[in-house]
Amino acid sequence: MIRYILRRLLWVVFLLFAVSLITFVIFYLLPSADPAALRAGRQPNPALVESIRHQLGLDQPWYVQYGRYMKNLVFHFDFGFSYQNGVPVRQLIFSRLPASISLAAGAAVLWLVVGIGVGVIAAVRPRTKLDRASMGLALVGISAPVYWLGLVALYLFSADIGLIPILPGANSYVPLSEDPAAWFTSLIMPWCVLAVSFAAFYSRLLRGNLTEVLSEDYIRTARAKGLSERRVVFRHGLRSAITPIVTIFGLDLGILLGGAILTETVFNIPGIGRLSYASIVRSDLPVIQGTVLLGAFFIVFANLLVDIFYAFLDPRVRYQ
Amino acid sequence: MKPIRVCSAALLALLVSLTVAACGSSDSSSEAPAKVGAVPTEQSLTGKTGGKLTVIASSDVDYIDPGAAYYQFTFMVTYATQRPLYSFGPDDAIDAVPDLATQAPDVSSDGKTVTVKIKPDVKFSPPVNRAATSADVKYAVERAFLPTVGNGYAGAYFGDIIGVQEFQDGKAKEISGIDTPDDTTIVFNLSRGSGGVVAGALALPISAPVPQEYAAKFDAKNPSTYGMNQVATGPYMIEADADGAVTGYEPGKKIDLVRNPNWDSATDYRKAYLDTINVEEGNEDTTVASRQILSGTAQVNGDFGPPPPVLKQVVGSTPDQLALTPSGGLRYVALNTTMAPFDNLDVRKAVLAVFDREAMRATRGGPLLGPIANHFIPPEMGGFDEAGGLTGTGVDFLKYPKGNLALAKEYMKKGGFPSGLYTGTEDLLMVGTSGGVAQKSAEVAAAQLEKLGFKPKLRLVTQDAMYTKFCSVPKAKVIICPNVGWLKDFADPQTILDPTFNGQNIVDVNNSNWPQLNVEAINSAMDKAALVVGADARNQAWADIDRQVTAQAPAVPWIWDDTANIRSVDVVGVINKFNGNWDLSFTSLK
Amino acid sequence: MSALLTVNDLKVSFNTDDGVVRAVDGISYSVEPGATLGIVGESGSGKTVGTMTIMGLTRAANTEISGQAIFDGEDLLRASEQQMRAIRGDEIAMIFQDPLASLHPFFTIGAQLVEAIRVHNDVSKAAARTRSAELLTMVGLSDPKQRLSSYPHQFSGGMRQRVMIAMALANEPRLLIADEPTTALDVTVQAQILELIAELQAQSGTAMIIITHDLGVVAEVADEIAVMYAGRIVEQGSATELFSSPQHPYTRALLDSIPRLDRDRSRALEPIAGRPPSLISPPSGCAFHPRCPLAFGRCPDELPALEPTAPGSQHLVACLLSSESRSAER
Repeated sequence: MIRYILRRLLWVVFLLFAVSLITFVIFYLLPSADPAALRAGRQPNPALVESIRHQLGLDQPWYVQYGRYMKNLVFHFDFGFSYQNGVPVRQLIFSRLPASISLAAGAAVLWLVVGIGVGVIAAVRPRTKLDRASMGLALVGISAPVYWLGLVALYLFSADIGLIPILPGANSYVPLSEDPAAWFTSLIMPWCVLAVSFAAFYSRLLRGNLTEVLSEDYIRTARAKGLSERRVVFRHGLRSAITPIVTIFGLDLGILLGGAILTETVFNIPGIGRLSYASIVRSDLPVIQGTVLLGAFFIVFANLLVDIFYAFLDPRVRYQ
Repeated sequence: MKPIRVCSAALLALLVSLTVAACGSSDSSSEAPAKVGAVPTEQSLTGKTGGKLTVIASSDVDYIDPGAAYYQFTFMVTYATQRPLYSFGPDDAIDAVPDLATQAPDVSSDGKTVTVKIKPDVKFSPPVNRAATSADVKYAVERAFLPTVGNGYAGAYFGDIIGVQEFQDGKAKEISGIDTPDDTTIVFNLSRGSGGVVAGALALPISAPVPQEYAAKFDAKNPSTYGMNQVATGPYMIEADADGAVTGYEPGKKIDLVRNPNWDSATDYRKAYLDTINVEEGNEDTTVASRQILSGTAQVNGDFGPPPPVLKQVVGSTPDQLALTPSGGLRYVALNTTMAPFDNLDVRKAVLAVFDREAMRATRGGPLLGPIANHFIPPEMGGFDEAGGLTGTGVDFLKYPKGNLALAKEYMKKGGFPSGLYTGTEDLLMVGTSGGVAQKSAEVAAAQLEKLGFKPKLRLVTQDAMYTKFCSVPKAKVIICPNVGWLKDFADPQTILDPTFNGQNIVDVNNSNWPQLNVEAINSAMDKAALVVGADARNQAWADIDRQVTAQAPAVPWIWDDTANIRSVDVVGVINKFNGNWDLSFTSLK
Repeated sequence: MSALLTVNDLKVSFNTDDGVVRAVDGISYSVEPGATLGIVGESGSGKTVGTMTIMGLTRAANTEISGQAIFDGEDLLRASEQQMRAIRGDEIAMIFQDPLASLHPFFTIGAQLVEAIRVHNDVSKAAARTRSAELLTMVGLSDPKQRLSSYPHQFSGGMRQRVMIAMALANEPRLLIADEPTTALDVTVQAQILELIAELQAQSGTAMIIITHDLGVVAEVADEIAVMYAGRIVEQGSATELFSSPQHPYTRALLDSIPRLDRDRSRALEPIAGRPPSLISPPSGCAFHPRCPLAFGRCPDELPALEPTAPGSQHLVACLLSSESRSAER
């Protein structure tokens, strides 16, 4: 197991290198803006542009720039300076991380509870009206664009511009460390909006898994033992049906920790997603690189955790 | 001054949110709309002292460093925290008033020397705490030429100062042409008689004093970190700790302004009613943000205008919450005059004649967003009336806002295409901005060209890439740039025409003469006009140049933008006409 | 001695999207305490559905059940779900065909055994665990303590089936239903398991219903045999009688399809021709007639009743042929 984890960790490192390299290359290949020109202002003399280019290190071949970037990253955990703000990227990212974590974690709890609850109810009452209604609604939930859903929520429920003004709306995010109560209420709507499509997806997935599992022989065995239906479904059925969900959940959470761009945007939550969006628009490579790496880190790390956790969940994997 | 782009993120966000309403008004009236929402701008207006103002913005400032700031939204903050030699009171976009200076600049008759006397008792905020001197102004101008600072306009307006080149090349430690004979006098010595323009440009934040002994260590960093350690001279300062490190600015999140304890109202014309100002950034959805302002959650808008649906609603229901101000800018479709087929003047005239500019304006929301441009100097600028005002310079090819195909064909015939239609079969590279309203405008523009048989090949990229990789790079050989525009730096018409149509200003990078118009007569007329001293004479000289440029048909001007600003009902909002947005030093709470 | 379980005219049908599946169409049998009934038939003959229904495991909105299943004086078909739960795994236990699929892959053997004990007995976990180890020893597994912490996939097929048997016998049931208990196992293991079942049954005096498609299996353990075809019993009688004088052509075909030591080796094994019938639209008359080598004019029209082969005989058959023509073939 230890060897397995070590091997996987090496793989994580390799993947992160690959991601950083690809980001770098894409940035140099695609027609993004010229950061030196952006800084040089209007009608600069060529010497000034060159001087800025040199200051930003952009006059070097891309592989030299990449090498220097990676050296600073690996040896000093230094993500460089934002071209735009002159602020260390590390500082930018760490100041944005709590918001993204708050958003993702809260939404994850919500969608797990709702998704699993609805999925179980639908699976144990297959083909009933309740089943059809909840699965139909879930299909709508999966298809609803988050941004649109966010706007609808704002116009319906936000305290300032909503028809039923009951919840803090856009731009109301407060860090947990400042005011836990305000943090919580300000995130209720974003959590719900972000969780909708996930909850819908998870409930459909779980319904499918659980329906399948409930027709397994070992469920028949459990019933034949005289177990209550509740115990059959929740202990024996859910235990198996939830395993694939764990895999997906890990990845989803990993992706969201790297920034939920649309939800962060519509509710103006200062997280990683908005930072990366702004940096792409402004061709701020060090920030792009930083946010992409962070996102990649969360995803591959989540993947690793999921695989390890999976081994604990499924003894068949563990003993192979 | 600046291309209409400066804060691309904000603009992009704005454009995205405008998509839905892009078809705009079908109202065919081409007249400028009646100005609604008479917002008081009189300085004499008294306000209630105290309180907190919440400004909401969709995006961030371009540079928090006052020496690099070059975007109206940033200026909104800069003019409340910094005191340049001159600045603009809220109600006058044309004549600047002395700020750090004691009186109007003294420009020598040959235009080669500009002398300014400054107030002795304007103090820096903590931790510097001492009075600003002429040396601090000199350092402010010098640092603007440092590549670590990256000022976007220093070269354009102060490049004539003697010794700039040596300083930039690192051969001199200071700019020899700036003299500070005593603490309250600063003299700019110029290599040619451009003192009129230099004097005007002293109203930009570049002339706000910066204490060298404090700032030099930050400017040595790459890029400079003075922005995150800046000191203020204005009534407000960005919240900072005792060492001067800025704590009130988080990029993309917020800018918190508090009172500058060292500011003395006796030295300033600013009223500074408010105690604190919180700029909350990142409100990308401008419809939501606008409604928050109208409902009173926030008080005023920062870097975005209300999108057309909100605009229409406000005009209909609560017009006093809206202020429309001419922006001092325009948008146009640039035609590359150095490459076929637009190296042919008659062909260019045909394009201008055929263009349905009302359809172009409709992509942005119709007449409410400003009048159709018929020449290049915008309204409320010196030279606008002299160049023909709203109606135009009289050329027939800009007489028809909806376009005139017959007239266009006449010009095509004159240009060597007997059928009246273009017969070349090559694809014409056209680079526009992807997404939202800008993309719509680009597509409409392409459709206009197709009317005459041209085959534009439209390529869409991000706004910054459109400028820095394509339209502002002559080597990229772009034939048509449909999404370019220009905004004044200050009320002098030179700031509109010289960067954009002077053939001597064509550069390899960040070129802003997008049509690459290089007409000897125009170039030399501009050289002469730049040295004219006196407002009336300057206005007339530049108006004449506007007529000449228009006659060259280098671009299709299609809108003189108005800036729309909104406020909540509990705010006595004061617009700064020069900057086209709320003046934080005069706005107060009810 | 009165019967432990008496099934009367049991009918089970499922409403599906394709139509009504008549899985069990009126079967009756009884099991005496300590005796063994073998139910034999091809897959799809209704043999499993019938016993599952008695256990209350086929109850669903789309299932129609009628008839009686009297266990210990109580009709199981009308018992509440709660009553059934108390009976399942305690009074009546089951062993299933595929021991790998029938054991939960994520729980240890110990956990599954302990659960089976504790659901019917108010004992501590530790006590249940001790009992579990005893059960494993009883079914012939060595090192039971360690086995308890193992997972099903770590066992061989035969060992798994021993675990299933241990689980079924955990609460000393009065009736054991073994549904194809050896089908999924290696041939060599099959005999061991059957022996084990027979041995444990003898020790405990448990009655048993053994369901199989393999007459060879029931031959070894069953006292009485019922042969099912298309949801109905076509022949029923004591094992001895059924093997010595099979009456129904289907029974005979089944016997012919298995290798037998007492049979002339030169005689080839004959698989039953044709395919099992559809239960949604079964053939008219005698359901076996499309495959029956002896079918004649009445077969497609008349449904034969299950009747004694001779007046007063316990050997029953449902065939339209006369007893003479049935036995003439042999």
